[in-house]
Amino acid sequence: MSILHARGVVRAFGHTPALRGVTLAIAEGEIVAVTGPSGCGKSTLLHCLAGILRPDAGEVIYRDHRIDTLSEGGRSRLRRTEFGVLFQFGQLVSELTAAENVALPLLLAGTGRRAARTAALSWLDRLGVADLADQRPGEMSGGQQQRCALARALVTEPRVLFCDEPTGALDSLTGEQVLSHLVRVARQQGTTVLLATHDARVAGYADREIALRDGQVDPSGFGVEAAIR
Amino acid sequence: MSTPYVLMGLLAGGPKHGYDLKRAHDARLPRAKPLAFGQVYATLGRLARDGLVTPAGQDQDAGPERTSYTLTDTGHAALTTWLATVEPPLPHLTSVLLAKVVVALLVTDISQARGYLVAQRAAHTTRLRELTALKTDPDATLSDVIAADYGIAHLDADLRWLQTTLARVADLHKEIAR
Amino acid sequence: MRPMTLLRLALAGTRTDAARVLLTGLSAGLATLGILAALTVAAIPTVADGGNNVSPQYRNALLAEAGLRPGVVFALVLLTVPVLALAGQCARLGAPARDRRLSSIRLAGATPGQTVAIAATETGVASLLGTLAGLGIYLGGRELLHRPGADGRLPLPTDVLPPWWALAAVCVGIPLLSALVAAVMLRRVVVTPLGVVRRVRTKRPKPWPGALIIVGLGTTALIVPLQRGFGSLPSEAFLLLVLFALLAATAGTVLGTGWISYRVGRLLHRFARRPAALIAARRLMADPWNGSRTLAALLGCLVLAGGAAVIRASFAADFALGNEVSRRYAAAQGVDYFPSDHSFYFQSLDLVNLAIMVGLLIATGGLVVALTEAVVSRRRAYAALVATGVGRGTLARAVLWQSMAPAALGVLLALAVGTGLAYGLFGTAVTAYDFSVCPAGDCEQPRIVRNVPFPLVDLALFGVGGLAALLAAVGVGLLFLRASTALEELRV
Repeated sequence: MSILHARGVVRAFGHTPALRGVTLAIAEGEIVAVTGPSGCGKSTLLHCLAGILRPDAGEVIYRDHRIDTLSEGGRSRLRRTEFGVLFQFGQLVSELTAAENVALPLLLAGTGRRAARTAALSWLDRLGVADLADQRPGEMSGGQQQRCALARALVTEPRVLFCDEPTGALDSLTGEQVLSHLVRVARQQGTTVLLATHDARVAGYADREIALRDGQVDPSGFGVEAAIR
Repeated sequence: MSTPYVLMGLLAGGPKHGYDLKRAHDARLPRAKPLAFGQVYATLGRLARDGLVTPAGQDQDAGPERTSYTLTDTGHAALTTWLATVEPPLPHLTSVLLAKVVVALLVTDISQARGYLVAQRAAHTTRLRELTALKTDPDATLSDVIAADYGIAHLDADLRWLQTTLARVADLHKEIAR
Repeated sequence: MRPMTLLRLALAGTRTDAARVLLTGLSAGLATLGILAALTVAAIPTVADGGNNVSPQYRNALLAEAGLRPGVVFALVLLTVPVLALAGQCARLGAPARDRRLSSIRLAGATPGQTVAIAATETGVASLLGTLAGLGIYLGGRELLHRPGADGRLPLPTDVLPPWWALAAVCVGIPLLSALVAAVMLRRVVVTPLGVVRRVRTKRPKPWPGALIIVGLGTTALIVPLQRGFGSLPSEAFLLLVLFALLAATAGTVLGTGWISYRVGRLLHRFARRPAALIAARRLMADPWNGSRTLAALLGCLVLAGGAAVIRASFAADFALGNEVSRRYAAAQGVDYFPSDHSFYFQSLDLVNLAIMVGLLIATGGLVVALTEAVVSRRRAYAALVATGVGRGTLARAVLWQSMAPAALGVLLALAVGTGLAYGLFGTAVTAYDFSVCPAGDCEQPRIVRNVPFPLVDLALFGVGGLAALLAAVGVGLLFLRASTALEELRV
């Protein structure tokens, strides 16, 4: 039984096609790597699946509901309650402290400040950055920022976590720490994870791999067709 | 081969007999091929012959497996020299993987090449996933993680090389077609 | 989202955001003061004293005479226009950083409505505080300035208070209105979770704003014949027509500056040979509306200034002609000639000029904010240019060209439109009947026609003043160029 389903998703930016009909199914609790060279459409696919972008054609189905037809506000609410997102960098609000950043999705959903802060602190603690609660992102290292961002993505206990090159801006050891936290928590919570990366070592953390090439799923994984033609 | 030097390195910490040496070797290099007892004694014999180690005493019931060995001064010097010698980085660009990919891409027919390349990549990624799982296992020791990292880095290098090679060949096809 | 959360998110920000909030509050406070002053004048009770409606408790005729008060109210309300323009400039200060913050908040799951609410709350709270401060200053000022002179008369209407509901409407209305404006201004940018997309008007400006100017000028030219045709227009209709003409012509001037910017850009691009002018030319063509936005308040003030200069010249000509006729009459009758005292009118016109100066000053403040923001927000591009070896002098000249070239033409246009409006309304000549010829009125008296002299000096002063204000604003903006092009800026 798949939790997330895409059928023939097409998306272009101007005249440049980014996705040319992607069909895939993600099972609940799976950790799936979306791999491919830069420009292959990984990020666009993740954004379409997460309801951040609306596909030009095709369907995105989350638990039997079309999400590509939802309104902007509806998709925002879905992201807030069911999905979590983790990007390469720059997703924290630089004017808010770590704890406020992590509490933000709860606050936006109407949770009281005290309850939201308690939840935020407990997640910061689980990810080993409890001591940074009252610092601003500018005062943290890249790895610390990513852990805070991960805490923010997880604070609503999402069913699906979308990660776009989550360690792309980190050195390999720091990136490894973030990834192992991510995978550990996802396994504990039964969270489904989509992990876009161009790095085979990052993809190694996943259960399976969906390779993209030129906006399409490449069954061979790495462009064999073009090379032997 | 590095086994004599590994044994000498292990002896540098103090006298050990053969059984201890084998256990210490397997614990420090957990993902290497396990060392056979016979190989330990043969190596120790050769080292003793060359004056690099020397028997340091025996337990009551004498027998080869009860003899403990210690590193001689010559042995110390030889170990230091070995550690100080830089390994020549990839002196010869030969490997079975390299040879197979070249043959597959440039010599064999299309379906054979496709089959081989896809299977090889799948095997690499599967192994990479195994090693990653091993590394992230909460019970993994530092030696486990170091060994897994070594494997992951090499698999990753192979995969990236494969990827780049395919892209290059694809570009070449495009250029010829033009 | 709870109100406390909304407030916390609305007030999270850097020093630039704090400056924006402060300036928003300041302009809300100024606008409050202007509107409260207008309401106070409007609230002055009229005492019918024979044929004249007067309020004898005031020293100043502008306040004492009921017939003059609507003009005062009108002028005070007009003064809030540059204040509102200032508020508009201030709202752009640091807005890109704010929009990026809103985008991050959207990534955390905020709906588009919530981000608009956050931005509107920031502006609304700032204006509420500014409005309350303005109200405080107004109420305090009433006490402080309540100084009856020796004759018991007052310099200012400190003895009347607008009705409480009007005060309440100002205190609620200004913050609500500014929050609404902030929400509408956010429509120009699309804040997505992935970043900010600015909706830029890429269409080339067309010269159609010229039509607005013609409509404005045509309306004023029609007013006089209409009045003659209908006997006399009701004063409301007259005021409405004047207001309509003024708005149409001013809007045409401001929007027309977009077209001028574009044309100037093309001309510069064709004929310029130096890098500074070429950079400026490309910028002007890339965003021709920028000039309209930044110069709007200044140009509005200059339209009024042009009109005021002609009105003064027209009054002066009229009075001079009147005096001449009186002198001829006195000579003919052999009596002593006493020139009549017109100082009241000139004092009133001085007040108008003062109001225009205040308006120009506020508009210059807005220009400083806008030009500084323009330099600071492009600091990465400037720093990159400096790093590749473009001299700061070249950049400074580019900024100067970009600001001054369309502005010079815009200033000329604004003054011309202002003079045109006033000539349309007051005519290019004044007439009088020479009653010295047959004082008994039993024969036809000759009609004397004098041309109103073109108020070149006044206009030149206003034009030079406007350009000097702009130059000063550019200078302040350029002060930030050095700091903004420090190569460290490339790292942030």
